[in-house]
Amino acid sequence: MNNYYIKRTGRAVLTLWVTVTLTFGLIRAIPGGPLEMLRARLVRQGVDPSRIDAIIQSRQQESQPIYVEYYEYMSSLLSGNLGESFYFREPVSDIIIDALPWTVFVMVMATIILFAIAVVWGALIAYKEGSTFDTASSGLSILLSSVPFYVLGILFVVVFSYKFGVFPARYRTSPGVSPELSFLFIQDALYHAALPIASVVITQVGLQTLAMRGNSIQVLGEDFVRVARLRGLSDRRIATRYVGRNAILPMYTGFLTLIGFNLGGSVILEEIFTYTGIGYYMFEALINRDYPLMMGIFLVITTALVLSVYIADLTYGLIDPRVKSGDSNEAY
Amino acid sequence: MAIDQTTDRRVYSADDPIIEIRNAAVTYDEGRSYVLDHVSLELERGEILGVVGESGSGKSMLASSLLDAVPSPGHLTGEITYRPDGEAPINLLELEKADRRSLRWEDISMVFQGAMNSFNPTLDLRTHFEETLRAHDADIKKGLGRAEELLEDLYLEPDRILDSYPHELSGGMQQRALIALSLVLDPDVLVMDEPTAALDLLMQRSILLLLSDLQEKYNLTMVFITHDLPLVAALADRMAIMYAFRLVEIGDTRDIVENAAHPYTRALLNSTPNLDAPLSEMQPIDGQSPAPINMPTGCAYHPRCPLATEECRTEVPDYHEVETDHGSACYHWQASYDEVPLLHENSPGDTTGGVDE
Amino acid sequence: MGSSIPGSNRVIPMKHTESDTGSEREFSFGAAQSEVEVTTADRLREFYREFIYKPGLVAWEDRRTRIGAIIMGVYVFIGTIGAWLYREPSTNQSPRSLRPFETLEAPLGTTGSGQDVLAMVIHATPEMLIMILSGGIFATGLAVLIGTVAGYKGGTTDRVLTTFSDVMMSIPGLPLIMVLAVVVSPERAAVIGILITINYWAGLARSIRSQVLAIREHSYVEASRTMNVSTPRILLKDIIPNMMPYVLVNFANAARYVVFASVGLYYLGILPTSVANWGIQLDNAYSQAGALSGGGTMYQLVVPMIAIMFLALGLILLAQGMDRVFNPRVRTRLAGESGSETDDEDTAAPTEVMT
Repeated sequence: MNNYYIKRTGRAVLTLWVTVTLTFGLIRAIPGGPLEMLRARLVRQGVDPSRIDAIIQSRQQESQPIYVEYYEYMSSLLSGNLGESFYFREPVSDIIIDALPWTVFVMVMATIILFAIAVVWGALIAYKEGSTFDTASSGLSILLSSVPFYVLGILFVVVFSYKFGVFPARYRTSPGVSPELSFLFIQDALYHAALPIASVVITQVGLQTLAMRGNSIQVLGEDFVRVARLRGLSDRRIATRYVGRNAILPMYTGFLTLIGFNLGGSVILEEIFTYTGIGYYMFEALINRDYPLMMGIFLVITTALVLSVYIADLTYGLIDPRVKSGDSNEAY
Repeated sequence: MAIDQTTDRRVYSADDPIIEIRNAAVTYDEGRSYVLDHVSLELERGEILGVVGESGSGKSMLASSLLDAVPSPGHLTGEITYRPDGEAPINLLELEKADRRSLRWEDISMVFQGAMNSFNPTLDLRTHFEETLRAHDADIKKGLGRAEELLEDLYLEPDRILDSYPHELSGGMQQRALIALSLVLDPDVLVMDEPTAALDLLMQRSILLLLSDLQEKYNLTMVFITHDLPLVAALADRMAIMYAFRLVEIGDTRDIVENAAHPYTRALLNSTPNLDAPLSEMQPIDGQSPAPINMPTGCAYHPRCPLATEECRTEVPDYHEVETDHGSACYHWQASYDEVPLLHENSPGDTTGGVDE
Repeated sequence: MGSSIPGSNRVIPMKHTESDTGSEREFSFGAAQSEVEVTTADRLREFYREFIYKPGLVAWEDRRTRIGAIIMGVYVFIGTIGAWLYREPSTNQSPRSLRPFETLEAPLGTTGSGQDVLAMVIHATPEMLIMILSGGIFATGLAVLIGTVAGYKGGTTDRVLTTFSDVMMSIPGLPLIMVLAVVVSPERAAVIGILITINYWAGLARSIRSQVLAIREHSYVEASRTMNVSTPRILLKDIIPNMMPYVLVNFANAARYVVFASVGLYYLGILPTSVANWGIQLDNAYSQAGALSGGGTMYQLVVPMIAIMFLALGLILLAQGMDRVFNPRVRTRLAGESGSETDDEDTAAPTEVMT
């Protein structure tokens, strides 16, 4: 039993370590390396060329063996220091602390909503399997899944923001609205998040619905559902405790993983909506070759995904009694 | 192809029937073919009836029909009458939904093969018992008391079992817990469809013994459906043999085992292992049993039968009375004694559990 | 080759069983055991029949597979012959900002710089197809390799490969690709396809591993092993053919991921613009959309969007159709008309008499 948790913890730590090492290696693999980046930054800042040369020279002299650099990189990361953004000239950690909650808010909301819809809709069509409703719903699900979320996002901005002007085209809140626990703020935040959330929900709900449909159909064919009917249980109880519960179980891990996955997708989504979450800053960092910010956000998104998978693993035992006794889902 | 075997009622009638089946038929393609082909049968109050048939003979359909629980989109026709003690008879197929729901499990209950799949893996056993009691508006406390007594009768520790999830129990424990669950509402009739198929020989034997104890203690009528003739011969009072969706022979267990009067039953007896007989004497039946879509005309057994004549190929045989309460749907039942000799002496008592398929 | 099997056109009377009545078709993918040594050509032909022709025939039965295959066929046609026939896009090849359906010269209109929109869409197709192919082959190939070896070998090999897959799986794909794209700046479509699926294979490798574990228990693999057949041979002959359908489904899924991700990257402007892509069109059109808020440039957005969506639709339909046919888990409970749902025991094909 403990073995299971130790394994999962080890895997999470290992993944984070690999990612950190990867970013360390990537920064050094960038054409020109850190010193060229420094030179470029100094040029942008308008520093005198002869002074730049002197700075680079002195840096070259103090350049250390790679393992020392690695050690320093690791220890500064562990103390929460992600470096300073070239482009925004701010500590990377400050940018992330400001932006992350907004992205998490949008993506967690979107994922919860789309799973809620998928569970209900998928179960309904499973019950009506073979009907016109089933055919139409399955067809619609497939059709929706063939639209990338950013395509719908672009359409939303063009239609609802530019053409009709009913939704805002940019930013997390209206100017002047400050983050506080007020009705106005919450309303304004939701108003700005509505289109991004909708474009994720609409484009991703289809495949989850089909997955729920497949699971439900399989559970409906199980003997225990037939026995439950013979035992006289109400249709409602069978639908929730028997079919629903057993059909949702396999989707639980997918739910948490999708939140992490969507955090990655936020780069495109937030660029479209000019929604200043971590995805937007990641985009700015990519375009402006702002490596500290880029790697910092990459690390944060990876950590978020690792954490959500880790939480899924740890809590799965709470909802499925079968895994309590050990790593029986190891094979899957 | 539909036949009517009701002409001679004597062979399958009972003195005090608790369930009467008339012409029960199940079709999945609007009558073009049948997976239960007009079977008539009466169940004596308090008896144990063993129904024997090989895979694909329609015996599970017969079991489901007793609760009007044929899996959709199957269509069940005929007449199935339940006669509760001292009350008006009930026609199962004409019941309202609510009445049918309360009849199942309260009056007629069922144990499926494969107990592992009969429990919801995400609920513990206590919940299974409680929700069943609640669904039938029974007293939960009294019902759980009865459940504990049943579990004890089945040599299980009630507290441990009730607090377990299905996957925490062994196959034999699950099967016994399922039997307890099926009896928790004190039904009159218990239908069991291959209840021991997935268990080892030892567990099969012990469950059989427990069943006969339960039958006495709770005054149950039991239908035990299996492919394993020797297994059920040790338990059943009467036996019915199914072949290709029809009943081909019915009679007291002793008559069937010692004096089988249908060539198929006799071949079946010869194909089953017996402790007294060496394995080399076992004789498999040549050929395959037919599928519902491809039923031979006349007697369905004729392509495999050494006694088949022109009559067998064209006309479905009626029951012939071999002795009182012993019928055989064969024109040549008398000839079968000589033509299909039994390889070894059989008696209901000395049979073993048979070998798992 | 004149080695046609004698009597191969003899009509063998089929014995009807219940499974013939319903739409449920069973195959046993393990049916192609060849105990006797046969020539390579025979084995290839056998392989083709058992693992490509027959499953293909069944997959074709599903309407979704058919529509998906037709859509893919159209794209392949556009990407090859279409791109060869139709002119290449260039600035000022036609009057600027033409609306669609105004002239035959540029049927779907032109951009603000006078580029033929249709030409842009058509000439982005070949690279997209190459990306799909390279990404799909890379992802499924690596997944099959790592999954089968891990599942079959077990022990330390399994532990190392599984941990590796787990770690790869836990790194978020899109940000990783973006960071790599900035660092590597890939220009060739084939390289971009591989880059996008750089860690996509990991999840697939895990599920292939668990399937291999299951197949390994099958007696025929057991038999090959006890007969002292080498591991690569067992993997190639018994295990991988068994997973072909599953791999094909995942190939289509990986391909769809490549479409979505590559267009997204091009849209963001992270990938070098040397390769024509619908994402670049989206980006150009969208950056003007604000200025021309009347929606006058909508067609410039809609045309590449349709190209993306139909390609994705074709791939989803293929995946869903194949999955439905091959995956018994998804096979519906109504599939067997003879009520095989809860009555497996009784309607199973007639077997030998008991014991």
